[in-house]
Amino acid sequence: MGMEQAWVLPAIPAALFVLIALLNPVLPRRGDFLAILGMATVVGLVGLVLLDFMDSFEGGLFAPGESNVYAFDWVKIGQDFFTIEFSTYVDAITMVMLPVVTIVALMVMVYSTEYMRGEVRYGWYFAVLSLFVAAMLTLVVSGNLIQVYLAWEGVGLASYLLIGFYWERQSAAEAAKKAFITTRIGDVGLLIGIIMLWRATGTFDIQEIIAAATSGQIGETYLTVSMLFLFAGAAGKSAQFPLHVWLPDAMEGPTPVSALIHAATMVVAGVYLVARFMPVYDEVLIARDVVLYTGLFTAFMAATQGLVATDIKRVLAYSTVSQLGFMFVALGLGAVGPAMFHLFTHAFFKALLFLGSGSVIHATHQQEVSALGGLRKKMPVTSATFIIGSLALAGIPIFAGFWSKDEILHALVHDGPTWAYVVLAGTALMTAIYTTRLVILTFFGEPRDHHAYDHAHESGPAMLAPLVILATLATVAGFFVFDQVGEALGFAGGIGYLVFTHEPHHFTAVDWAFAAGASATAVVGIIIGWAYWHGDARRANAAKSWAPDLHAFLVNRWYMDNLYQAVIDRVILGLATVVAWFDKRIVNETGVDGGAQTIGYFGYRLKFLQTGRIPNYALGMAVGVIALALVAVGG
Amino acid sequence: MIPMENFLVLSALLFAIGFYGVLARRSAILILMAVELMLAAVAINFIAFATYLDADAFSGLVFALFVITVAAAEVGLALGVVLRLFREKRTANVDAADSMRW
Repeated sequence: MGMEQAWVLPAIPAALFVLIALLNPVLPRRGDFLAILGMATVVGLVGLVLLDFMDSFEGGLFAPGESNVYAFDWVKIGQDFFTIEFSTYVDAITMVMLPVVTIVALMVMVYSTEYMRGEVRYGWYFAVLSLFVAAMLTLVVSGNLIQVYLAWEGVGLASYLLIGFYWERQSAAEAAKKAFITTRIGDVGLLIGIIMLWRATGTFDIQEIIAAATSGQIGETYLTVSMLFLFAGAAGKSAQFPLHVWLPDAMEGPTPVSALIHAATMVVAGVYLVARFMPVYDEVLIARDVVLYTGLFTAFMAATQGLVATDIKRVLAYSTVSQLGFMFVALGLGAVGPAMFHLFTHAFFKALLFLGSGSVIHATHQQEVSALGGLRKKMPVTSATFIIGSLALAGIPIFAGFWSKDEILHALVHDGPTWAYVVLAGTALMTAIYTTRLVILTFFGEPRDHHAYDHAHESGPAMLAPLVILATLATVAGFFVFDQVGEALGFAGGIGYLVFTHEPHHFTAVDWAFAAGASATAVVGIIIGWAYWHGDARRANAAKSWAPDLHAFLVNRWYMDNLYQAVIDRVILGLATVVAWFDKRIVNETGVDGGAQTIGYFGYRLKFLQTGRIPNYALGMAVGVIALALVAVGG
Repeated sequence: MIPMENFLVLSALLFAIGFYGVLARRSAILILMAVELMLAAVAINFIAFATYLDADAFSGLVFALFVITVAAAEVGLALGVVLRLFREKRTANVDAADSMRW
C-alpha cells in the first residue's frame, strides 16, 4: 500500500456510506462500529502512505521512478478533445491534509457514539459522516479539477445533510439551505475558473495546468481572472468575506459535525485549493493580493463578532472564520508552508474546542453563556482540555497555535505592508480576548443557571478520550515545525520543509524576539479578557452600555445578513417578479394560450366548410380541377 | 374524312354536359349517368387522337378499352353505394346523405 493506491482511502468510507445507509435499520448499534472500524482502517492506511511518501525522498526531492500518481480514463471523447480522468496525486500538501482529515474524523466518530446516543436517525448520521470523509479524501488526493469539483460538491452535500440533520427544526432547515446556497455561489465561480483553465490548456489535470501556467502559455489577464474565479469557490467553501455568512448558522447541526466539517476539514478545502495552485498564484500577483486582503479583512471582521457572541458554538464559529482568514493571509503572501501548518494545528485545537463545547452542551443542555458558569469544578477533564485548546487558539507558546500563528505573522511582517501586520496583530489580540472571555464565562465564576449547573456532570469515556487525544495533539503538534523534530521522526525535515513545492524552507531556529512579541500580545489579550469578564463582568457590562450601537453592530454580524436579505428581497425577488410576470403574461397567456385560441378560432371559422352535402363537395372538386387545369395550361 | 376538330368539339360538349350534370342533379343515379357521359367523352377524345394522329392507331384505342372497363367497375361499386343510401333514407336524393357535417 503506497502512494499509488491512494484511491483506496476514499473508497472505504464511500462503500461504508452505502452499506450503513441501506442496512442501518438491521445492523446492531445501527452500524456505528462499522463507520469507526472503517475510519480506523483508513487512519492506518494513511500511515502506510505516509511511510511510502517518506521513503520516496532522495536528497529532499522525489526519487526518480517513484510514482505518486494513479489515473484512468473515465470519459474519453476523441483522441485529445475531451477526457475526464479519475486520478490521484500525492504530494506534501496531500500528506498534511490526510492525517488531519482522518484523525479528526476518527475522533469525531468515536465522540459521536456517546454524544448522539438515542438521537433520531443515528444510523443515517454515521452514514453521512462516512460520505463526508469519502468526499473530503477524494478532494485531497485528486489529481484533476473535475474530480476536485465533484468532491467539492460532495462535501457540500454532506454538509447540507448534516447541518439540516434536525430538519424538523425550522432554523436548522434554513441554515442548511443558507449554507448550500452561499457555497453554491462560490461553486459557480469555481466551475467558471475550471472551464477557463481547460479552454486555455485543454486539460483538467492540475499538474499539467500548473506547468502550462508557470511556463507562460496562458495570457496574464486570462490567468488572473481564472485564478480569481477559483478563489471565489475557495472563499465560498472556506467562509471568507462576503461568502462567510453561512458558517455561524451552520452551528445548527450536531456539535461533532461542527467540529469535523466546519472547523477542521471541509472549510479548509478552499485553503487546500489555493495552496495547490500557489505556483500559479505566484505568477498573477493581483489575484494573490486579493486572497491576502480578503483573508485579512475576514479575520478582523470575524474576530470582532466573536467578542460579543453569547452562544458557545457561535463564538467558535466566528473564531474559525477568523483563523481561516489567517490561513488566507499566509497564502496571499505566497507562504504555503505557514498556511498549511496553521491548517494542521488549527484542525486539532479547533476540533478540540468544539468537542469540548459539545461536552458542555451535552451535560447542561445549554448553549448560551448566560446559562453557564463555574463548570470547572463539575467537569474537570472537559475544562482542562478546553483550556488547553483555548491557549492554543490564543497563541500561547508551547501550544500548537502559537507556532503556526507566529509563522504567519512573521511572513506578514517581512513580505507584506506594515498596516496589514498591525491589523492582523490586532486580530490576534482580539482572538486572545474573546477566547479568554469564552473560557471565563463558561468555566469560571458563579453559575448563572443553577438548574443547568446542578444537572452538569462530566462526560463519559467515549467523549473524553477524543478530547484528551486532541488536547495532546494541540500541545505537541506545534513542534513539527522544527527540522530537528521532523528528522527525529524520520522525515527529511520539519513541516516547513515538507510542505514546500519549490524551495525547501529550513526551520531550525526561531526568531525569538518576534516570537516574544507575539506571545506578549497573546498574554495581554488574556489579561484584558480576564479583567473585563471575570467575576461579575463589571467592566464588560460597562463597556456594553458605553457603546451600544457598536455592540449592536457586532452582535448583528455587521448587519451583513440584513444586507443580504435586503438584496434578496429587493433585487433578486424584484427581478424574479419581473421574470414571473413575463412568463405568465407573455409566454403563457399570449403565447401558449393565445396560440391555442387562435388556432381554435380559425378552426371554428373553417369548420363550416364541412356541410356534409355531396353536391358541395362535388363543387369543391370541380373548382380544384379547374384551377389545376388553368395552372397546367397557363403556367 | 371529316376534320378531327369535329370529334374534339363533340367530346368537349359531352364532357361539359356531363360536368354540369354531376354538379346540378339531385338524384344519385342521374349523377352516375353524368359521370358516364364524362367518361364517354374522354373515350371519344382518345379514339379521335388515335385515329387521326397515330399511324398504328393502337395506344389510344387500348386506352378507350380501359376507360370502358373502369367505368363498368366504378358503376358496379357506385350503384352498390346508392342502393345502400336508398335503403337507409328511402330516397336516392344525394341531399339526404348530409349527416357527416360540422
